[in-house]
Amino acid sequence: MKNLLAVSFCVIAFSFHVMSQSRTITGKVTDINGAPLQGASVSAGKLGTSTTAEGEFSLSVPSSVKKITVSLVGYRPREADLQGQEQLTIVMESDAEKLDEVIVTAMGIERKNKSVGYALSTLKSEDILKAREVNLVNALAGKVSGVRVTSQSGTLGGSAKIIIRGASSIDGSNQPLIVIDGLPVDNGAPGFSLNNVVAGQIDFGNRGGDINPDDIENVTILKGASATALYGSRAKNGAVIITTKKGKKGQMTILVNSSVRAERPLKLPELQNEYAQGDRGVYDVKNLNGWGPKIADMKGRMVKDFLGRDVELQAYPDNLKNFYETGLSYINNVSLAGGSEGSDYRVSMSATNQTGTVPNTKFNKYSVGINSGRDFTSYFSARTSVNYIKISSAGKPAQASNDPNVLAIAINNIPRTVNINDVKENYLDPVTGKQVPVAPATNPANNPYWILNNNIASSDIDRLIGNLVLTAKPLKWLTISNNFGTDFYTDYRRRITRKGTFGALDGQFIIDQYVSRVINNDLIFTINKNITSDLELKFLAGNNFNQRELKQNSNTSTTLTLDNLYTAANAASNSPVNTSNKRALIGVFGDLTLGYRNLLFLGGSLRNDWSSTLPKSNRSYMYPSGTLSFIFSDLLHWDVLNYGKFRMAAAGVGSDEAPYQLDFTYTPANTYYVQYGLNGNFPHGQYLAFYGPQILPPLNLQPQKQTSYETGFDLQFFKSRIGFSVTVYKSITKNQIVNIDVPLSTGYFAKKVNAAQVSNRGIEADLNLKPLSDFHGLSWSVDVNFSANEQTVDEISGDLKVYNLQSGYSGLQVRAERGKSFGIYGSAWKRDPAGNFIIDAATGYRQSVNNSRLGSIYPDWTLGVNNTFSYKGFTLSGLVDVRSGGVMFSGTVANLRANGVAKETAVNREGRFIDKGVNDLGNGRFQENVTPVESMQQWWTDVYSNTLFTESSVYDASYVKLREVRLSYALSSSGVPRWLKALEVGLEGRNLLLIKSYVPHIDPESNVFGPVGNGEGVEFYSVPSSRSIGANLRLQF
Amino acid sequence: MKRICPAFAIVAFIFAGCGKTLDINTNPNTSSTADPKLLFSYAATTWSSNRAAGDTYIPVAFATQTISSGADYGFGKSNVYDISTNSAANTWTTIYQSAGHNLDLAIRTALSSMPANNNTAAQCRIFLANIVYETTVLYGDIPYSEAWKDDISFPRFDAQKDVFEGILQLLDKAIAQIDMSSPLKIADYDMFYQGDMSKWSRLAHSLKLKTLMTMVDKDPAKAAAIGQLMTAKKTISSSADNFLFPFYNEANKENPKFRLLKRYASGLNEFFYANENVVKYMSQSDPRMPRYFDKPAGAPLFEGVQSEEDPSDNSARYSLYLQRADAPEVLFTYQDELFFEAEVYARGLGVAKDFVKADQLYKQALEEAIKFYAGNGNYSAFINSLPSLTTAADPVYQIHIQQWINYMDRPVDAFTQWRRSGPEGSEVPVLTRPDGSTPGKLIRRYPYSESELNANINSPEVTPDFDDNMWFDL
Repeated sequence: MKNLLAVSFCVIAFSFHVMSQSRTITGKVTDINGAPLQGASVSAGKLGTSTTAEGEFSLSVPSSVKKITVSLVGYRPREADLQGQEQLTIVMESDAEKLDEVIVTAMGIERKNKSVGYALSTLKSEDILKAREVNLVNALAGKVSGVRVTSQSGTLGGSAKIIIRGASSIDGSNQPLIVIDGLPVDNGAPGFSLNNVVAGQIDFGNRGGDINPDDIENVTILKGASATALYGSRAKNGAVIITTKKGKKGQMTILVNSSVRAERPLKLPELQNEYAQGDRGVYDVKNLNGWGPKIADMKGRMVKDFLGRDVELQAYPDNLKNFYETGLSYINNVSLAGGSEGSDYRVSMSATNQTGTVPNTKFNKYSVGINSGRDFTSYFSARTSVNYIKISSAGKPAQASNDPNVLAIAINNIPRTVNINDVKENYLDPVTGKQVPVAPATNPANNPYWILNNNIASSDIDRLIGNLVLTAKPLKWLTISNNFGTDFYTDYRRRITRKGTFGALDGQFIIDQYVSRVINNDLIFTINKNITSDLELKFLAGNNFNQRELKQNSNTSTTLTLDNLYTAANAASNSPVNTSNKRALIGVFGDLTLGYRNLLFLGGSLRNDWSSTLPKSNRSYMYPSGTLSFIFSDLLHWDVLNYGKFRMAAAGVGSDEAPYQLDFTYTPANTYYVQYGLNGNFPHGQYLAFYGPQILPPLNLQPQKQTSYETGFDLQFFKSRIGFSVTVYKSITKNQIVNIDVPLSTGYFAKKVNAAQVSNRGIEADLNLKPLSDFHGLSWSVDVNFSANEQTVDEISGDLKVYNLQSGYSGLQVRAERGKSFGIYGSAWKRDPAGNFIIDAATGYRQSVNNSRLGSIYPDWTLGVNNTFSYKGFTLSGLVDVRSGGVMFSGTVANLRANGVAKETAVNREGRFIDKGVNDLGNGRFQENVTPVESMQQWWTDVYSNTLFTESSVYDASYVKLREVRLSYALSSSGVPRWLKALEVGLEGRNLLLIKSYVPHIDPESNVFGPVGNGEGVEFYSVPSSRSIGANLRLQF
Repeated sequence: MKRICPAFAIVAFIFAGCGKTLDINTNPNTSSTADPKLLFSYAATTWSSNRAAGDTYIPVAFATQTISSGADYGFGKSNVYDISTNSAANTWTTIYQSAGHNLDLAIRTALSSMPANNNTAAQCRIFLANIVYETTVLYGDIPYSEAWKDDISFPRFDAQKDVFEGILQLLDKAIAQIDMSSPLKIADYDMFYQGDMSKWSRLAHSLKLKTLMTMVDKDPAKAAAIGQLMTAKKTISSSADNFLFPFYNEANKENPKFRLLKRYASGLNEFFYANENVVKYMSQSDPRMPRYFDKPAGAPLFEGVQSEEDPSDNSARYSLYLQRADAPEVLFTYQDELFFEAEVYARGLGVAKDFVKADQLYKQALEEAIKFYAGNGNYSAFINSLPSLTTAADPVYQIHIQQWINYMDRPVDAFTQWRRSGPEGSEVPVLTRPDGSTPGKLIRRYPYSESELNANINSPEVTPDFDDNMWFDL
């Protein structure tokens, strides 16, 4: 690490130059439609600059300079004659052969777009920063075909999950590899329990969210194994290739990008305001529900409230609204960038400071990044990039259940007659110093303000990501580069439960400390050579070394002696846990691309990996890929079709296993499970304990194998006014390394075997339209992306038909079932052959059947529609995100209904109703049900809290969402002072509107399983997601 | 070209260390071996704690009606026969994975060591036999003969009769391999008998008696074996042989019942009441009464609460004494043995009926039972106030009532005792379905673990209902 830093600073030191100037040329660079072009290189000899987001530039040149040159990838270079002008407008024509554009592919290899035989998508900086997200992963939502992003919750700094072209593994991660400037970085979310998701999950975020969006030049999404074959096993789920911004030759440019946003919950539960707390219509202050008397009927009668006061009952309809605060986000970035002949630099500093909608929640992220390059000679250069990120957060709420600190339960069920301000101001008894519960029962729920003010979950992360690229070009056709990098972080977490917390009266706190380190080195030899004038060759060969290590030191301290002192010595019991795992992978790869007349390209790659995690005899595995790209438009010469490419690709990719899964070993036990959070500790008395393997280790584990095929077209019509691309694909992942559940009577939970096959097939389409192009100054572009993926579990293991992916609560499971996609399973309503509910003639209740499939967790299709309008300096853009199909389970809705606080539970409260359905008379005979449900309270309680009825809380997860909107105005150069090159102000909003949803009370975008597990579609007392609206200011100096 | 040498040096470095670089797949936090005593410790602690806690104790006690929830559902609805699938699954997991698996590994390790550690294997086998017994009386037909075998992926469910036979064989095997002279045994980690193999041997014989007494009504031929045990007199013979799992007055090492009250009610009992189905069979002067139950100040009598009934201000509660931090988990006691022996002579099971001997054993059992809870003292006046078996109209009924009372704080034993105490409808005591309970008959079994049913292709094709009798339960 020290060496890396030393070299980095040397490179940076070389890069700063002092530049002279004599006169200043300003101007604007646009396309033929008048749309500003960002990032165009403007140069005059050795001097140069690049254009701003508004297409503007300012360049100081000696008075002797007569011409400037403007160039931009995808456009024909332009020369502009100065002829004494100091204010220029330069229009760039699209390069008819836009596919000469160079794009970054696997291993950071730059290729001509033309030569690429597989689908990929690239988002530019402005796409990422539009109404910028704190978590980079969320910024991808709705923007790229084939890519689906799911937020875990509305927690500040919360996690998000990416699935590219469907989940392919039934065990292990389905997350893509994230690569920054060639360095694969950690996108883990340590601490998310895969086995016990219902137990008080706190969303500490995924580490991919740490990356500073302001530093990103572009993001390329490599979707299939063909695209990622060179990355090998780690990228079998796709790859997100991030290229960071670099300084450009010319005068130093200072950019300031500031946003201030206010956040409110996007959707809060709709609650009834007619009924008080109690039971069967009788007021009872001890209840945390809405099953008491009608408030209107209690007029004039005094009852005791939770503070022991005599009060007349009244409803407080705005309790929830008043509980959640207006969160504030300040996102600021300052960057300095520039360069001279042979060197460049960019320094970036960012600060994100947020307060959440949940009181007492804070999130602060600071990052400093330096990216600098230096050409030492014509044949040797170096580039280094170092990013330091500091994140601290406090007050992250507990979600799910089985934890006294779960907030949603404490908030949502506050009786409608309790004023939230009373709850807030009286959470602590001023005399005893003890907590005042909202419902003074024998085993009361916690006052939410007690939780918020005392039981703080905090996290402090220090992260350093850095790499050094050395490039030698000893021969004109030979390039040798070595990219060494590391990604290192520590995450110190503390979860406090203060003494006096109901459910943990003696108090406890948990310390988790994670240390993660990735070391990666890629050495690549590249040959670029034209064999003949028609035949070009690109060949590369390389070696990859990758090592990943994660250590965890944790301690659970219980039974605290002194109040409010969170040190292990203050606890009567401490239970430490130490774990660590380390893995290494060595790969050798080769890639050959042959291009014929710039219209036909054939490519092939081969990679062999050696993994530390597989048995020695099977640790080596090889896999190939092949691609074809054919630019048929070059043969057709149609005016209408200015560009047409046919592409196809096939690839195989192997993958390994988690560390330490092969040996039969014994683990020292520090705790043992006891129901109701009463886990015991070892040593028990004087007796230590060990336990044997819980998963039967494999005998001869083989690498997992994925094969994928894809084909498609990229088409541009009417001089690229219409762009369309379509891809169909299929991937088969077999020989999967899975923990197959075995009967517990074997003594094991599971056995690790090679089994299971999952296939995904789908279609992706992107449509880019420019309906208006500088029509009286108005331009309008529409970008549409569509994805449909069909996942099928082809096989699990032998005769096994069902595999449990993750368990939810009381019988709710997410499972893989042979012949189907991953789905939610639980108890379903029993139906007759005609589909009518079967009702118990004795009780009037619907009957249920266990272990039923309740629907797929995946959508049938997704759609993103982004419209951009620009008129003079104004730009308005909006992204609508659509999901169709799939189901989700909501624990929050179930809880609201079971407790009689949801709005719908007030309907017909005192009445009876006859559920529509039939009674089963036996022998296939049915008759219409006429048995009424006798008690609405009993019905709501039983149907929504009883584990027999999972289906009651399963909903269509489709939605239409206005994901982001931005309105900006860029002042022209003439409108700003000379010292200011550009200024843009904007209004921006994220997660603005849930246009359509089928899930009551909550945002359907929620996932209690977090970013690491395969489970989705289950919400469990999540923090509500936020709508944010704010302003943005961008300045360029 | 010289300038690219560093790059090649890196490659050379990587490949030179390639083999060693990849040979890192050994977990530094686990061990390839473990002393059997450590596995025994894990099995004993996890299983005994499960038996004392919310996955077994509370649901079985509510369902069997030995304690009452006071119509509150804070800790499940098993009193109305809605047994949580989680509880059933957790108990199954504890039995087969946490306890059974590790005992099996301990046995394998002990027998494969050189020289073979037979006493350790015997200790683990006896403990395992007790676990299997409790498993089959809860669930009925269970995997046993093919359980815990690495080469069998889907253990078949053995008929309960065969499971009982297997338990007897396992106990015989353990008894046979005990070597009193060998120093090789679990001693310092034997939280029950500190390595006293004679006590383990007596326990094994008593567990045989317990098993046979559960079988004998369905399989009267077992009476002969019972008679042999009576003649041999190798069963436990004093309260010093009581088989008790210890808990401690230290944080997170307390009895889980205590932990529950500490965590949720500052150590007070806000949740569990005296069940009328126990209280009404006990004399108010029974010395165990104030140990079993806490009476509210001012309440004239110990009042029980029905299983699904709101308590009154005078309702007695399940005592804090039984939920104290260091209350042991009671697995088998001398009074259990004596009550069985009294029953053997009262019924003439493999021996001639002898009411005098039965009465003598019955009174001795009562004395031991009272001393166990109330401490040493002279309880003869109370004991003599109870009907004598020599004159009682139904001596066996009197024994069963006292067995029921004796098992008040051991719901699995109480559940088994109640079911074996008479054919369906004639059990002792007579219980009725609690108000609002799931339609059907009185509960007769725990539901199988769903994960076992889903994963095991040899699971029963028809899953029995909660009120279906099992083999021993006539």
